[in-house]
Amino acid sequence: MNMNRRAFLKATGTGLMASAFPISLVKLAFGGQDPSQDFTFGYISDAHIQQIKGTQFVRNWDMGLIRAVQEANLLTPRPDFFMFGGDLAQLGKKEELDHGLEIMSNLRGKVRYVIGEHDYYLDLGKYWQDKISPLYYSFDHKGVHFVVLNSILTYDKWTHETWPSPMDRMLAMARLDNPKGSPFMVGDQQIAWLKKDLAKINQDTPVVVFSHSPIQKIFKPWNFWTQDAEKVQALLKPFEKATVIYGHVHQVQYNQIGNITFHAVMATAWPWPYPETYSQLTSCLPKITVPMNRADPFFERDATGWQFVDMKSGKPAVHYQLPDNPNRTVIFDTVTGKPKDVKYQDYNRRIPPQTHF
Amino acid sequence: MKTSSSGLKGMICISAMTALFAACVAFAAPVGLPPVPVPADNPMTPEKVKLGDKLFNDTRFSTTGEVSCATCHDSKKGFADGLPVSEGIHKLKGTRNAPTIINSAYLHTQFWDGREPSLESQSAQPFLNPVEMGLKDHEPILKIVRSDPEYSNLFDKAFGKRGDQITMTEVKQALGTFERTLVSGNSPFDQYYFKGDKTAMSPAAIRGLDVYVNQGRCVSCHRIEQTQAIFTDNRFHMIGVSANQMPESLEELSAAVQNVKEKGTDIAVLSNPQTSSLGRFAVTRDLTDIGAFKTPTLRNIELTAPYMHDGSHKTLEEVVTFYNNGGRLKETDPVPELLSGGIRPLNLTEEQQADLVAFLKALTSPEFAQKKP
Amino acid sequence: MGKNKCLLSACLAGLLGLGFLVFSLSSQADDFTENDLKRWNQEFMSVVMKGEKLFHSADLGTNKVSCDQCHPNAANTHPETYPKFQQQLGRVITLSDMVNWCIQNPLEGEPLPLDDARMTALLSYITFERRGVSLAPGKH
Repeated sequence: MNMNRRAFLKATGTGLMASAFPISLVKLAFGGQDPSQDFTFGYISDAHIQQIKGTQFVRNWDMGLIRAVQEANLLTPRPDFFMFGGDLAQLGKKEELDHGLEIMSNLRGKVRYVIGEHDYYLDLGKYWQDKISPLYYSFDHKGVHFVVLNSILTYDKWTHETWPSPMDRMLAMARLDNPKGSPFMVGDQQIAWLKKDLAKINQDTPVVVFSHSPIQKIFKPWNFWTQDAEKVQALLKPFEKATVIYGHVHQVQYNQIGNITFHAVMATAWPWPYPETYSQLTSCLPKITVPMNRADPFFERDATGWQFVDMKSGKPAVHYQLPDNPNRTVIFDTVTGKPKDVKYQDYNRRIPPQTHF
Repeated sequence: MKTSSSGLKGMICISAMTALFAACVAFAAPVGLPPVPVPADNPMTPEKVKLGDKLFNDTRFSTTGEVSCATCHDSKKGFADGLPVSEGIHKLKGTRNAPTIINSAYLHTQFWDGREPSLESQSAQPFLNPVEMGLKDHEPILKIVRSDPEYSNLFDKAFGKRGDQITMTEVKQALGTFERTLVSGNSPFDQYYFKGDKTAMSPAAIRGLDVYVNQGRCVSCHRIEQTQAIFTDNRFHMIGVSANQMPESLEELSAAVQNVKEKGTDIAVLSNPQTSSLGRFAVTRDLTDIGAFKTPTLRNIELTAPYMHDGSHKTLEEVVTFYNNGGRLKETDPVPELLSGGIRPLNLTEEQQADLVAFLKALTSPEFAQKKP
Repeated sequence: MGKNKCLLSACLAGLLGLGFLVFSLSSQADDFTENDLKRWNQEFMSVVMKGEKLFHSADLGTNKVSCDQCHPNAANTHPETYPKFQQQLGRVITLSDMVNWCIQNPLEGEPLPLDDARMTALLSYITFERRGVSLAPGKH
């Protein structure tokens, strides 16, 4: 690649990927001088397929996943792979998971899965492991080390000893504002596994962790929370380029803690309010986050969406695809070392729909 | 006609302006409509209106000498043409249904895909489209307006410009000004809703209004407000029309985009139905805009059949059926994957659907209401 | 003389009774205690709890969707801003109207009559979760 082209790409930041056209696929490899090549992956999350009765499912959530899959199929250049970020089902039922997988089967490209609490707590992940995916694993792609965690576990007592039936447990975990809820965690077993897994790679290898819960402590009452977040963060500390991408929150969030960049993904199903809108409690939304536009319930897909992620030199740029709204792009600003919305980061550029109360 | 001094000319202009301003104030807000937005660089004057009217109806601005703006925007047909898709020179067919010009002054963008931001900029495009007026460039227009004695007079009066001073800017401004006069409210609905005349609409239409603002959900895009109703939200929505013409594969989408890039949006979308079906996407290249078209106003909708961006719905009854089925003419048709989140099955009864049609027919302004022979 | 005494006593008793009645009537209007307040608050909270239960149940619509799926702790309902011009409906509406819109649309159910106990319960819960926030009618 000649120097002019590389300069052009650097200058335009997200550049060609954001526009998705021209059609001619531009090879964005940095030709050996950088350990990672640039590539894209798609991220679809939080479909919450919900059974009403028999073969009848909530149309609204079905349409959200169907739309995301269809848009993703039209994305050019093609992403290298897709992730599903968890909560495929609403109550973890086989029918819901199967219906969700049926819709996902139309997605053109390889898909890997992250489990969410709505998938897990009915049968503790048995059907998921049998049919869909291991609960935690890692893989490498074009010089980037990817880790998938099951970050929605909780205390053993709550999981095993509290509930008259599996569905009671599932319903308890499904209720976001449950006063009798229990915080998410990764757990010591996975922490130990992660330590061994990361020991195998160099510290200049970019690491990306896919997780359902935030690996941060944002708002405990709604489980925007990972109880052992600091332990996971400590394991990621030695790496120059570390990223965590998480679901569960159904809203735009991003943050930087030390060397780790955090990005939340949108839900295809429905948006959740920002914690600050619950006036009775305080919360800790990352200050750097420019919120998404307020949800307009008169359009079902408002404040939902999916995203594709550009890996540029091992740091992510997240392109949020937001139906009925202007799209949002959050890049990694190499000057400040933090994520930044390309349009709205500056307070003077904020718009009224970004006010939440 | 020259005036004796610039001072007198100024005075005449001012008094004309005052008179027009008074007229504008009275004229500017028909019942049920807000004041007409007028761009700062193109104030309304009677001279511009007269000039614009003549330009609008002039068929000489086409290769065959037979097509003018009025060909597709006929004052006797609600300023549309009654065809599914419009026909230009040699009766060449485009891909899109002619929208009415009535109340287009209230729209934030022009064309079904919003590719032009104003009446002025829109007016110059059809001249250059191979299936509309067919000109290669605007030169033939300028030749005529610069040499024709009647135009010379009118341009002088309207803009104080003659000969080579006359450019497409003045042509567009005159056309825009003329179109800005085509506003109308004061329909039976306006009398009922804003003037409180409970007898202005039939019982069926009154029931239909209730469907419109409640179960029918129409009001969320075709806006009625407390003090005015322009019947559009000026946004773009994919409601499922011509979903089966849309690109389904990446290859088809790529081909359509190539078409747009090579020919320019205006020519590409009118030359190919699949390209046309891209809607707003052809302008923004945003995946979330595929198949989205601008919400048109519903005022005078009774006059402007057939309906939708491709004229594929012949009657209002068909339109209501389409919406009732959640973006499909038949309940058994597949649901388009990229359907706007505002569209869903409505479960209206037959009576509710008929009432809704009755209400839509109450949106016709009296000056355009068709006189039965 | 005895008769008169009886009559006098009867009159006195009547007057006293009347006075007592008047006295007690005038004191009942503004005489409530801490216990009364506690009790009445419990009465209110019992309806708030009914509303909380409804808000988190699948009983209001026909598709098993519950209000809390989009509104955990009734967040994002903004009860303090009603009545307001709801731009998507083109008219000024009340909180009850909006609750009914949600029941009919995302929950695909039938609207509640405005004097229905369930509507009262829902409004009680929604406003209770927003207690302390100043009134801001019309705020979008």
